[in-house]
Amino acid sequence: MPSPPIRRFPIAVVLAACLALTGSFPAVAGATRHINYSRDIRPILSNSCYKCHGPDEHERKAGLRLDTKAGAIGKLESGEAAITPGSSVKSAIFQRLTSHDPDVKMPPPESGKSVSAEQIGLIKEWIDQGAEFHPHWSFVPPRHFPASPIKTPTAASNPIDRFIISRLEDEGLQPSPTSDKTTLVRRVTLDLTGLPPTIGEVDAFLADTSPNAYEKLVDRLLASPQYGEQMTRDWLDAARYGDTHGLHLDNERSIWPYRDWLIRSFNSNEPFDQFAVEQLAGDLLPNATIDQRVATGFSRCNITTGEGGAIDEEFYVRYAVDRVQTTGTVFLGLTLGCCVCHDHKFDPITQKDFYRLFGYFGSLTEQPMDRNAFLPPPAIRTGPAADSGKIDRLKGDVAAADSAIRKALKAFRYQEPVVDARIVTTGSGAAAPRPDELRSRSLKAWEASVAKDKSSLPRNVARALEIPSQKRSSRQANVVRDYFVEHVYAGSRSIFDPLHAKRDAARRRLDEAEQDSPSTLVMQDTPKMRDIFVLVRGAYDRKGEKVLPGVPAAIAPALRADAPLNRLSLARWIVDARNPLTARVIVNRFWQHYFGTGIVKTAEDFGAQGEWPTHPELLDWLATELEESGWNVKRIQRLIVTSATYRQSSHVSAALAQRDPENRLLARGPRFRMDAEMVRDTALAVSGLLVTNLGGKSVKPYQPSGLWEAIGYSGSNTVHFVQDKGDALYRRSLYTFWKRTSPPPSLTTFDAPSREECVVRRGRTNTPLQALVLMNDEQYVEAARQLAERMMREGGKTVADRIALGFRLATSRQPTQEEIRVFQTLYTAQSAAYARNRQAAAKLLGVGESPHDPKWDPCELAAWTMVANVMLNLDETVTKG
Amino acid sequence: MNPVREQIERLTRRYFFGRTATGIGTVALASLLDDRVMGGLTAEPSVGGVLGRPQIRATAKRVIYLSMNGAPSQLETFDYKPKLTELFDSDLPDSVRMGQRITTMTSGQKRLPIAPSVFKFGRHGQGGAWVSELLPHTAKIVDDLAILRSVNTDAINHDPACTFVFTGAQQPGRPSMGAWVSYGLGSLNGNLPTFVVLHSTWSSKRDAQAVFSRLWGSGFLPSKYQGVALRSSGDPVLYLSNPPGVDSDSRRRMLDALAELNQKELATVGDPEINTRIAQYEMAYRMQTSVPELTNLSTEPKHILDMYGPDVHIPGTVASNCLLARRLAERDVRFIQIFQRGWDHHGNLPTDMRLQCRDIDQPCAALVKDLKQRGMLDDTLVIWGGEFGRTVYCQGNLTREDYGRDHHPRCFSMWMAGGGVKPGIVYGETDDFSYNIVRDPVHVHDLNATVLHCLGINHERLTYRFQGRDFRLTDVHGNVVRGLLA
Repeated sequence: MPSPPIRRFPIAVVLAACLALTGSFPAVAGATRHINYSRDIRPILSNSCYKCHGPDEHERKAGLRLDTKAGAIGKLESGEAAITPGSSVKSAIFQRLTSHDPDVKMPPPESGKSVSAEQIGLIKEWIDQGAEFHPHWSFVPPRHFPASPIKTPTAASNPIDRFIISRLEDEGLQPSPTSDKTTLVRRVTLDLTGLPPTIGEVDAFLADTSPNAYEKLVDRLLASPQYGEQMTRDWLDAARYGDTHGLHLDNERSIWPYRDWLIRSFNSNEPFDQFAVEQLAGDLLPNATIDQRVATGFSRCNITTGEGGAIDEEFYVRYAVDRVQTTGTVFLGLTLGCCVCHDHKFDPITQKDFYRLFGYFGSLTEQPMDRNAFLPPPAIRTGPAADSGKIDRLKGDVAAADSAIRKALKAFRYQEPVVDARIVTTGSGAAAPRPDELRSRSLKAWEASVAKDKSSLPRNVARALEIPSQKRSSRQANVVRDYFVEHVYAGSRSIFDPLHAKRDAARRRLDEAEQDSPSTLVMQDTPKMRDIFVLVRGAYDRKGEKVLPGVPAAIAPALRADAPLNRLSLARWIVDARNPLTARVIVNRFWQHYFGTGIVKTAEDFGAQGEWPTHPELLDWLATELEESGWNVKRIQRLIVTSATYRQSSHVSAALAQRDPENRLLARGPRFRMDAEMVRDTALAVSGLLVTNLGGKSVKPYQPSGLWEAIGYSGSNTVHFVQDKGDALYRRSLYTFWKRTSPPPSLTTFDAPSREECVVRRGRTNTPLQALVLMNDEQYVEAARQLAERMMREGGKTVADRIALGFRLATSRQPTQEEIRVFQTLYTAQSAAYARNRQAAAKLLGVGESPHDPKWDPCELAAWTMVANVMLNLDETVTKG
Repeated sequence: MNPVREQIERLTRRYFFGRTATGIGTVALASLLDDRVMGGLTAEPSVGGVLGRPQIRATAKRVIYLSMNGAPSQLETFDYKPKLTELFDSDLPDSVRMGQRITTMTSGQKRLPIAPSVFKFGRHGQGGAWVSELLPHTAKIVDDLAILRSVNTDAINHDPACTFVFTGAQQPGRPSMGAWVSYGLGSLNGNLPTFVVLHSTWSSKRDAQAVFSRLWGSGFLPSKYQGVALRSSGDPVLYLSNPPGVDSDSRRRMLDALAELNQKELATVGDPEINTRIAQYEMAYRMQTSVPELTNLSTEPKHILDMYGPDVHIPGTVASNCLLARRLAERDVRFIQIFQRGWDHHGNLPTDMRLQCRDIDQPCAALVKDLKQRGMLDDTLVIWGGEFGRTVYCQGNLTREDYGRDHHPRCFSMWMAGGGVKPGIVYGETDDFSYNIVRDPVHVHDLNATVLHCLGINHERLTYRFQGRDFRLTDVHGNVVRGLLA
């Protein structure tokens, strides 16, 4: 191959070209270099040409395929060659791109696609340089690149930095200095635990002058239980976790033990390959433990329906499609959804590949119609009582008690007393007993007494009572009589009261045991595999070719030929060392967690349409580190947060903001608004309200009334929101009950997704509705009041000291004199205002369910509450900087 | 978001703030949200839309979508089928059904007996459009409406069908129509959300199909494009009101302190995002005034209130929401979506239809008239309809007076008015059974393409790159229905 001529590209041109295409970041500025096919050319071809000249053979026009070298340089139907390496003049593609004749021009005007002059220039250069083709970068296994040589090795703390600094040097940029210690302890504590550091933790770190003080801090945080909660939070979005079915009635369902399993797994540093295999196929592992089966909840988090009239087969297909797509996005960074209907237009995955993957999820014991049930099978019991048979025994006790009641009812002979009809129905008259006495003595009297309001009665009893007694069927008559005898009749209390007591006690024991041993949805295959077909255009009722489960061979070689055709084989293929995607996709998401943007910005798409990595060699290095360390997750987190890159100051100079507004080159530390849950958890932590219990059933903290009623089906068991009390109001936000058709508004306002489908990259908006939440949501107003009390209680006597305490709690740092002055001014004005209006103060203090200490003057406390309200609204408080 | 656009927005914002960073809060903020600041980027005086100048001539600036959730029967409203009277209780001919799928609610029935409508129809307006007696007020405005009798959809159950109508896909995850419009065209009003949703009460049986926040959600678009529900009780916008004991003066003082502190932080760390946050707090403060002003209907004169009917005095009714929609439209809110539930009539249809139609007839007609008398119908597109139609055959027991109808995705009726839609026409036709379309079908994708067209958007060009693919409201389908355009 002739050596390519080297051209100099003005950076502006390359930048414009790349941005216009996929938003990819240019590799090297100003330096002489040759055109890189994967980075510079493929995105243009993929975006503008592959639709008709790409992998999808059904859509291919003129027999031209531009995604492979053979296709691009081969003879066309017309006899020409689209690309003649080394000669743009002899390449039909170049002629077509530059033509002004609408019949000849490519892409055709009606396609809505266009290729800019700069892009055409790049293509010309690339062809003239020999038109080199490479496979798409992410389908080539990662290499363990040695860290780049750099001019200032002292700036590096670990190999990560050498990759980052090397690129900065190429760009003529300098890394930023290390952050001050206060910023650092705040940043890393927020990142690893989702909570701000306490003042004690800040002080301890400031006081620790040992050279490895920071590493010690990181190790402490990685060992804290809150680390697992913080890592789980991201994973819940990916797994589309919710506490309701998500479709139609959107009833509650029980899958939170899976959420708790995630927390335990992250905290115990379960190797990632095992973590992945258990979620995808824990049920198929030999002698699967309960935990391994709970893990398969990953594939049961999808939305399901029980809507009357829905067609089973249609939803059977939808669920399997969702599971394939989610698996593809979460572990492989592939957008497999395209292949439901046709071959992928950009990546080498065929529709048949898709349905082979579908096959792994196609033979479940699950019924497509979930019956709106709390535990649509397959589900298992977890916890201490799961194995021992204790639950069954207790259920037996309840059943026995119920049956004793039924037996007693059957044996009981009820005789209506002979009373004057007038007295019975009106309860008046001289000789009549008192009405309440009468109603427990006479069925008729009781019936009359409940005629107006039957709301407290069981439905079947109320319904039977609607019918005039002489028209009731014998069954309805019995329903009424039995209810009366069992619950009302004075003459049978001595029989039924003890029976009820016995049954209630049995139920209580069962409830307690069940609370200790919650059930959760899991995966389970049918003994016999279902036949799987390619579905024509993705339609559930248009079966095409029959296929067997299998993996897309273009991504990575299949496992042994004799591997079983089940999810376990898929899971093992996903974490196999030869799979080029999984480790990259995972470390990229970890990176995104810390820096706000992944090395590949499109964390959900590593295919041809995804963005080119800013630091490809670093990504590969991290991926191979992860694999070679035995998929040690905590080790990777530690590597990232102990890098000098992570520890840089996040101050943004005007020049740097202009040069790299998104901070993709990392010449400064990360700074961005915290995720929804962190914003709320911070307010709870700062105010001292936070309850740090780990795990358990989801909770319902404050939310404005009427939200569920406004949208819910009246028959749904989540149509009415019943707010919890006490500790449940102050749990971490990852435990907030997630109703998917109306998710918690204070969290979605800060970009939490609805969890109806898999999300691996959240948006990060900045809106007036967020301001309203932080200013006015009961949760935040209450937190401000508690923070105010804390300032008064713990902050000392002077106003300035109290302000300093609150400010430190919220932002981790000491306020400046100027800042204290601003708060003082506000405090003075608010004190005066509340002194004039004591009622207003009392009202403000009444917000939220936690009590306030009566020893404080209400006006003073209210004024401090407004000061605290500012503190919780500071940009700095809601930002990780 | 389109990366180039994203870049430009960032740069512009920074440029703007770079010049005003010395000034405190309010002045700078007021003008950030002023239409003109970013006016150079778009032909229209709007803020934040990704589309530059309109791709096609826009005939509508805003949309009011009256969504009748649960699927009103076309056979009781606009699709008059006189021949059915003689066919009472006879079986739906196989030649009509042609083996089409039916839901599992009626697929088990032994028979599919024809249920003629119990309601009378009359011809109205200059074009003599057939309208049922249930809609006397609507009948009076048919000359302003384009009645569509040939709308059809892919979905046969409520959840997927609603999701399909509003997002172009049956599966959750895509942006809603209003979000697409906000994303494409941006805001015309700096004091109110661009996309507003109103939920209404209903009069038929309490069991009504649900709606889902995804119907006004932003899907994979940035969440700022999602619809904001204006509520009829409690805060009209969530968290709008100051807490008890905090008056507007206190809030102002709090915000001044906050802005000053955030400015100091900006001076120290230089992150332009801080400036945006300061601006958003000011917008929130302005909303605290502008929203209550908007929702206060007491300033409306009596003759206007009377137009909408007696329910207008009850917050949350369709009547009250229709008037609110007009007020939102006057304030140039882009996309207004009114939901009313209670239209799923599998049984007891005649009784429930009477109740539901009474809820909506006068207010919807009044809305059109009111817009017209203000000259606003010219650039406001009003749409009325449900998520699918109902079957000509009866579900459950059939009598002359009482019957039910199952889901029918193959044809249903809607109407559109204003915003460049041809007035006084009836578009499309179904067979004698209102089962199949025989002329001018309008698929949901076609309808949505037409709505975008009226707004000056080429539905094939308003796209968003997500997971490597350019998504759009109409997926890969949809044709603008030229016959509906004036």
